[in-house]
Amino acid sequence: MTAAVATRAESSASIALQPSRPVIPGDRIQLALEQPTNAAAVTKVRVGPGLHQERGDLVAVKAGVLHQGPGNRWWIDGTQKRYVPAVGESVIGTIVAKVGEDFRVEIGSAHRATVNYMAFEGASRKNRPNLDVGSLVYCRVTVANKDMEPEVECMDASGRSAGFGELKGGFVLRCSLRMARSLLDPKNPILVRLAEVFSFETAVGLNGRVWVNAESPAQVIAASRAIQAADGAAATDVLKKVNSELRHYARGMEAS
Amino acid sequence: MRPFHCSAALLSRSDGSVRFKSGSSAVLCSVFGPIEVKIRDEKLDKATVEVVFKCASGQSTTTERLYERIVRETLEASILTALHPRTLIRITLQVLTDDGGILSTALNAAILALVDAGIPLRSLPAAVTCMMDREGVLFLDPTTVEVEGSQSSHVFVFDDAGEGTLANVSTGAFTMDEYTNCYDQCLSAAATLQSLFRSSIEGKVVREYGPI
Repeated sequence: MTAAVATRAESSASIALQPSRPVIPGDRIQLALEQPTNAAAVTKVRVGPGLHQERGDLVAVKAGVLHQGPGNRWWIDGTQKRYVPAVGESVIGTIVAKVGEDFRVEIGSAHRATVNYMAFEGASRKNRPNLDVGSLVYCRVTVANKDMEPEVECMDASGRSAGFGELKGGFVLRCSLRMARSLLDPKNPILVRLAEVFSFETAVGLNGRVWVNAESPAQVIAASRAIQAADGAAATDVLKKVNSELRHYARGMEAS
Repeated sequence: MRPFHCSAALLSRSDGSVRFKSGSSAVLCSVFGPIEVKIRDEKLDKATVEVVFKCASGQSTTTERLYERIVRETLEASILTALHPRTLIRITLQVLTDDGGILSTALNAAILALVDAGIPLRSLPAAVTCMMDREGVLFLDPTTVEVEGSQSSHVFVFDDAGEGTLANVSTGAFTMDEYTNCYDQCLSAAATLQSLFRSSIEGKVVREYGPI
């Protein structure tokens, strides 16, 4: 018994994470699993986006790059433009209607989301948020499953605004979901390169919408066009496209 | 089989788009989904799949309606519709040029467009057309001129590595042996198509993702 436990502990240390590789729909995934250090525990596999459990197998259902993370996490990083809501994601929405005590928010999913007027920092029955149809909000998805309409909140779990809420001014651009995910990283090469030229602020919605605000419209346009040009470009061409947009911006500044 | 060519992500507004060319037959497919569905078309436990098939010129006839139904029923078996209940997946097929084998070209375009849109699929099917002429000669992926002399024509859609036949549309007069021969030829052609699809899709994935 002791010998068996020792072997398992050794093997969990020596199993390297599988290298990432491209997959297409229908590929069955051979799982090289990390065994739990407690011999009696059940090995859990955490299935992420793009993978589907079919009886005992994991099958890829989307095209993309298959990744394995620590703790037996498996997921596929694919390209997609249409957003499917998931709990905990930050999204940018547009208020499209007021229905009773809720706002209807368009977040780009198949169904519109609802946000209760109490789901804003400092909101109360007497102090309702002052939002009109057409307002932009940065919110967090709280309810999302395939059978229900999504719900969002404009505050974090503890009730503080934490950057959520109405977005004033600026410009919202549309991009692919992968580009939005990559922009969440402040060290993203596109954001770093743009910040070398002018300062700007962004709010990244994982629903493929990015809000950009800067001092002048020319800067907002340059930042949006840089992000859109880099979206879908080959990884080696990204910086070239960003620099090309920055050259346009620089020429515009010289002319004025 | 005629050489094929496909280009993806052509349309900026679609969720997925592919232009598939087989020889001189070309079909452009645009996919939207999962999107909002009309209440009367809504299914409580699955996504509704809608196909619109437009021919290159002239009015749509019953042939186009038949193709829409064939494409819809084939793809409904392949798409994991249970993952997106009460939504719509709209597939629009536009024939650009028709030089024979348009149904299988359209099916291949639709399959690749669904992959481009990130719609979950059970597998990657492939469609092949073949015909037998009056002398009993088998033509794989025939052109319009070759189709003129056909005795029977068969379209097969095969699932991954011959695990199953998703669709079969056979017209004309043929013997069981001729049918079996067509089946076998189309099966191996579909396997070749699937491996070409794989390298094409993986190439695009790696190009966009960067070095893995």
